[in-house]
Amino acid sequence: MLHRSSIALAALAAVLLLTAGSAQAFDESKYPDWKGQWRRAEPGPPRYDPSKPGTGFRQEAPLTEEYKAVLEASLADQKDGGQGNDPTYTCVSPGMPRVMSVYDPMEIVITEGTTHILIQHVHDSRRIFTDGRAWPDYIEPSFVGYSIGKWVDTDGDGRYDTLEVETRGFRGPRAYDATGLPLHRDNESVFKERIHLDKADPKILINEITTIDNALTRPWTAVKRYRRADVKQPVWPEAVCAEGNVHVEIGGTNYMLSADGMLMPARKGQQPPNLRHFTTPAR
Amino acid sequence: MRIGHSISALALAAALVLAGTAARAFDAAKYPDFGGVWTRAGSGEPRFDPSKPPGRGQEAPLTAEHRTTFEAILQDIAEGGKADLPAYTCLAPGMPMIMNADVPMEIVVFPEITYIMIDHIYESVRRIFTDGRPFPRDAEPAFIGYSIGKWIDTDGDGKYDVLEVETRNFKGPRVYDESGLTLHPDDMSVIKERIYLDKADRNLLHNEVTVIDNGLSRPWTVMKTYTRELTRRTSWREEVCAEVNGHVKIGMEFYKLDPNGYLMPVKRNQGLPDLRHFKE
Repeated sequence: MLHRSSIALAALAAVLLLTAGSAQAFDESKYPDWKGQWRRAEPGPPRYDPSKPGTGFRQEAPLTEEYKAVLEASLADQKDGGQGNDPTYTCVSPGMPRVMSVYDPMEIVITEGTTHILIQHVHDSRRIFTDGRAWPDYIEPSFVGYSIGKWVDTDGDGRYDTLEVETRGFRGPRAYDATGLPLHRDNESVFKERIHLDKADPKILINEITTIDNALTRPWTAVKRYRRADVKQPVWPEAVCAEGNVHVEIGGTNYMLSADGMLMPARKGQQPPNLRHFTTPAR
Repeated sequence: MRIGHSISALALAAALVLAGTAARAFDAAKYPDFGGVWTRAGSGEPRFDPSKPPGRGQEAPLTAEHRTTFEAILQDIAEGGKADLPAYTCLAPGMPMIMNADVPMEIVVFPEITYIMIDHIYESVRRIFTDGRPFPRDAEPAFIGYSIGKWIDTDGDGKYDVLEVETRNFKGPRVYDESGLTLHPDDMSVIKERIYLDKADRNLLHNEVTVIDNGLSRPWTVMKTYTRELTRRTSWREEVCAEVNGHVKIGMEFYKLDPNGYLMPVKRNQGLPDLRHFKE
């Protein structure tokens, strides 16, 4: 009788211990394994829609006529030696959606209330809040926006497999790629993402991303893929945009710095900057 | 007898479930609760040794040679210069400066790695590897260095309470804070930390930071303390240095930018920038 009571007590204790442990632990088994280092899977230049062969007009973005003209002007400026609509040359954040083209390796850190997307490129990291919060009444605008996500178990196996994300609250300027393919200057973009592993290959992470933006005639969906590095201890490069950045913006105009750090023209025939604030003669 | 067997089966089942769950779940109970958002305790401008005033008041144990460098920097700053301090060109603050926590930092702990995220001048992510790896032989130098940590149970209660960290493998320039106190340009620093919760107040985090650097005459240890934010943070401010940095470095000279982006001198009687590359 004593033996059976002891066993019962042990069983009860085990169950209680189990419950108590679960309350304290972050149960990683509930979430998909997105650990490791991710790089974009497609070759060629980073671009919004990897299924298209190039950037700019080759993306075949459903732009309004007005914004087709904006892209034309950007390309013309770049052909002339300028930067067009691409703001990142002064190390301003690429913002959404461009950060998800993953210019530098990405790490995804899943915690109970936040999924961190860590990309050390210009200023590309994101926080996706999964703690059930509502949209705040006021969102301080940012280049990467404010993201709220929801974990979904699409196959009913008791484990989340998909992260659905909505992102709002932007400032700009932002472009989809280095050609300056533009988003609307009103910064009212909304992005929706469905992020999940490829069922056939867990080394591939898929991001179905939809842009809703007033420079578009309709929502624009692209499927991005990232490949997990097959390395046990990946190297995380520290990419500091300002280090070695040869672009300088003075009076709204781009100049460059020579190898010895001196100002030089960025375009043929460019004049030196206006030096209105200087009274002493040039050296 | 049937009841006895049932109870045995239940016990076995419970034990198996417990073992299985422990293997899959991150047993947070073994680790101190470092998770969350932390702001530096105390007041005044962020500085390496919070117990002392900034600048010369830090009483840094500098070598004679490095003290000369420091004094020259202070002189340049007094004249309006920027003394080539990295913040003015939006370079990453690196270690040890980012642990001054000029802005709130977020810590995330896993058994194999602890992340410290601080977005100040640069989006710094410290990865403190606690998976038992050795220092790599050929890692690319970084402002943030390469950190290896080890969890310690100092009081023998079966739970870790201290994270000991060593960080090496730097590049520069790096500073202790924005007063002009720089580390040696050979970037051979080694930085050691002991990070632990306050025993009396679990919402205080202490970090004993020791810098070993050739600009110092001896290791320099300071105690930093951070306070946990108790209310859920609804947003994080996006700080993009390039947007707010009103300085430009041309050659070896710093200039300011006026609100319209035009160059201005930072020092009295500062000459024009060298325009040798522009044709008349």
